[in-house]
Amino acid sequence: MSGHTDGLRPPLAAASRSLFGKAIQTLSRVSDDLWLDPSEKGLALRAVNSCHSTYGYILFSSLFFQHYQWSPSATMRDNDIPMNLNCKLAIKSILPIFRCLNYLEKSVEKCKIVSRLDKCRVVFQFFCKHGIKRTHNVYFQDSQPLKILFEKSLCANILMIRPRLLTEAIVLLTSNQEEVTFSVTPGNFCLKSSSGESLDLSSSVYSEMSFDPEEFDFFQVGLDTEITFCFKELKGILSFSEVMHVPLSIYFDFPGKPVVLSMDDMLLEANFILATLSDHPSRVSSPQSQSLCLSQALRRTEPTQSSAQVGQSQASQAPESISRAAPKRLFPKDPLDSSCATETKRASTNQDDISEVPESVVSDMEEGPGPSQLRKFSCMFFGAVSSQQQEYASHPLDSLAIASDSEEDWDTDRLERAGLRVPAAMVSQSQGIQQMLQAEKPVAKKVSEARK
Amino acid sequence: MKFRAKITSKSILELFIQVSGTVARLAKVCVLRVCRDRLCFCPTGLLGEAQLWGEVRRGVFRHFCMEGVSEEFNEIYLELMSEHLARAVRNAGNASSLKLQLTNKRRPCLTVVVELASCPGHSRAMVHDLPVKVLPRRWWKECAEPRVPASDVSVYLPALKTLKNMVERMANVGDRVLLEANQNGKMNLSVETDVVTIKSYFKNLGNPPKAVLGMTQEKDPESMVQVASITYHVFAS
Repeated sequence: MSGHTDGLRPPLAAASRSLFGKAIQTLSRVSDDLWLDPSEKGLALRAVNSCHSTYGYILFSSLFFQHYQWSPSATMRDNDIPMNLNCKLAIKSILPIFRCLNYLEKSVEKCKIVSRLDKCRVVFQFFCKHGIKRTHNVYFQDSQPLKILFEKSLCANILMIRPRLLTEAIVLLTSNQEEVTFSVTPGNFCLKSSSGESLDLSSSVYSEMSFDPEEFDFFQVGLDTEITFCFKELKGILSFSEVMHVPLSIYFDFPGKPVVLSMDDMLLEANFILATLSDHPSRVSSPQSQSLCLSQALRRTEPTQSSAQVGQSQASQAPESISRAAPKRLFPKDPLDSSCATETKRASTNQDDISEVPESVVSDMEEGPGPSQLRKFSCMFFGAVSSQQQEYASHPLDSLAIASDSEEDWDTDRLERAGLRVPAAMVSQSQGIQQMLQAEKPVAKKVSEARK
Repeated sequence: MKFRAKITSKSILELFIQVSGTVARLAKVCVLRVCRDRLCFCPTGLLGEAQLWGEVRRGVFRHFCMEGVSEEFNEIYLELMSEHLARAVRNAGNASSLKLQLTNKRRPCLTVVVELASCPGHSRAMVHDLPVKVLPRRWWKECAEPRVPASDVSVYLPALKTLKNMVERMANVGDRVLLEANQNGKMNLSVETDVVTIKSYFKNLGNPPKAVLGMTQEKDPESMVQVASITYHVFAS
């Protein structure tokens, strides 16, 4: 890989610096690693937590920066497809740099970020008052960022609300709750929280707060439903949305399908995809039924088909990183295979499954050194997916986080759908894959249940 | 059995939050005794032999209505986790009102409703259902109001913040703090170990006007009260 010194160089302006710092802080709550993913659209920061139940993606458009320069680094050998900067930073190295937001706003006059591929470094330079210049060299790991594509506008329920209203509500929730539930009907939005039920005094408090649809800037409920997801993540996201000063948009469907929380202003777009519990825990449910399965289908990707889809081929970095991740999440392969079968059956019964999420690890399906099992793991996404390759091929690839006119851009990149079952731990006990399989309900049934 | 009460005054609300917070720090379980004219906090299982008793008189509530177990025994004893109550009201300082209500939602609950004033006409309320146990009459005597024996000396405490700082530091040194006071507005706080004695002298504290029984008229009678330092410290918090 030939070196290229000028991957990107965006000096950050004024108050944007603290926003950038805040973005890093928010993503630090998600994961220990952060991908810097520059492209011609801008600089994206991506993070996914270790159990793949939360994915954060913040895109700073090129206009956010005073000066933004990105040029593709070396192209791949055989074709002219540009290679992205595959840059994964440890949050531990970069968080201290951006920790003090006040300092960023007041004392720093300019912040420059330059990537140096030849030395595997990203250089953060702060030009501060009094002529002081601070330079941080942060080493990065060469790693393909995991990308998620998710068509959020196809969700049945779309809400938009000023984050302040939700924050005020969250503050009143008794703080030891692990999960929070959004419950919607066309006439009502209800925020609920509780963690289980038992008959003695130490059982948890159940809390709820209702909102009138009029309090929302936009309120579309196509499906009466209740979704439950991680409370801690919601708090972090709300805190970021407050500094963005734009409404928070919430996209969701039935339980099990991930919820997307997103904020969009002209310069900056932030999206957080959170896994939801696939079974709404009723107040008398047993812990076992609180399945954390986030209805991920594990799908084998066919190399031949995938090459047809893949517009570009990349260096074989992805399998390494993914396969490193894989052992953390997945246990024996066999349950996954059977789950694959389950998902296949399940997904195929629901033709209207609009939540297909083509995975978008920009990985090299063809060049991957590994055998097909690496490919199996090399894709991840949230949401149920149809298993038909043919269906997939006919689906347009819609990007979650990209501006509306750039869907075409992604067509060439996109690959396969596959998914990973996510033994996510929203509660501290980890659940085995088998339990998740047992609790799995057919998609068709879920969609048809009206939730109040 | 019925119980419904509402607080709308901001200062009372803050006090309520403080009281429930303090109770939660002191004891895991608290019995809320709902009487005709007041609401009592009776935490159980305190350290040592300490007892804590708090009363909120009916008058501070905007609304207060109750119906006890029976006409003859017109009270309700509710046992709950103090932490639940404290957390439910902890951030309610800006609420427009706080409502307490005994409800039955699959099981007896004390429902705490924190109402927030919000934008144009919509009022939003966070509803917490705290699980409670309604205590049968045979257990009522456990939560009786403690009789405060007539005291020998009664003195107004100095600023709690000062006292708290001092007690905290003394707690680092020893287990027991000695508190002495007399009817001339003087109070001493001291801790003693083998190697060191630390003593703080307060003077010009007032004495409450109530007549004290068994009091001799000596100028400086020191009435010695020994308090285990840890509990005292929390009282002061």
